Amino acid sequence: MLPFILYFVTAVLTGFHLYTLLSFTLYGAPFNLLELVAMLGSFCLLIAAYVSLFSPRTAGQLALIACLAMWCFYGPAIAKIARTRLGKPAAVSQFYRPSVALQSA
Amino acid sequence: MILPYLAAVLLALATAYSAVVSFRQKPEEGSAEPSWIFPEGAKRPTRIFISIATLLLLVALGAWFSINARNSTPGSMRFLIPEGYSGWVRIEFEVPDATALLEEAGQTVLRIPPSGTLRTSSPEQYGWVNNSYGFYSRAGVRPIPDSGPGKLIWGKINGEASGASGKRKYEEFFVGTQQQFKGQVEGAKSRD
Repeated sequence: MLPFILYFVTAVLTGFHLYTLLSFTLYGAPFNLLELVAMLGSFCLLIAAYVSLFSPRTAGQLALIACLAMWCFYGPAIAKIARTRLGKPAAVSQFYRPSVALQSA
Repeated sequence: MILPYLAAVLLALATAYSAVVSFRQKPEEGSAEPSWIFPEGAKRPTRIFISIATLLLLVALGAWFSINARNSTPGSMRFLIPEGYSGWVRIEFEVPDATALLEEAGQTVLRIPPSGTLRTSSPEQYGWVNNSYGFYSRAGVRPIPDSGPGKLIWGKINGEASGASGKRKYEEFFVGTQQQFKGQVEGAKSRD
């Protein structure tokens, strides 16, 4: 039962997330092919969930392929989020403290 | 916004689990008891239960979609703009003290005042809507083309602005020629 629940819940959640992202294309957002590939991956994972009831090993192989397809989208997305959050903003110009040179008479 | 993170975490778990299941040594016949973490397929009652649950889920989803499709008939909005008006038109929805939008012959009529801003207590319409535009004057109403070479409607946007009176949904579009619209956009860019 564990593989079924794990694959099924993952497929439903990722599928819903990717469906939401893909639906934005209707409102003019640019189409991303990786989203479609990942969506197919989540569909394969759903199939793997049902296969796991009969043959867990075959289901595992199918699920692994499906998950790798999904990482095509989630991998770069997570990397981009991490880079945006952790990256320091670049300085547009460097600040120099003005120094006054005192000349001794 | 927890959904993407939850999806990524579950995906990581599913990947790790499926990799272990795929590459682990197949236990010899009768040498090892199937554990709960690596079960040897589900029992017959479990399969029957999951099949019935899936069937019920599909029926429920189908019913929900058909009921939703029946209830949400495509709306139609008619924007009436003062004759000779050129510039941005803004419609603010769900404004507490404003008047509701009128329905005429199955169409929601939005009569834009000369100021270009209409405030209404009616909610914004979502989904597939068939909008039409017209210039109104004492002589009557003449249609405004919103597509093709003589198009006069540009840059339609929907948004939500938050202010002192809370969040407010609005819709904006530009009325004018392409040149006027481009001039507006470029002017706004140069101001930024």
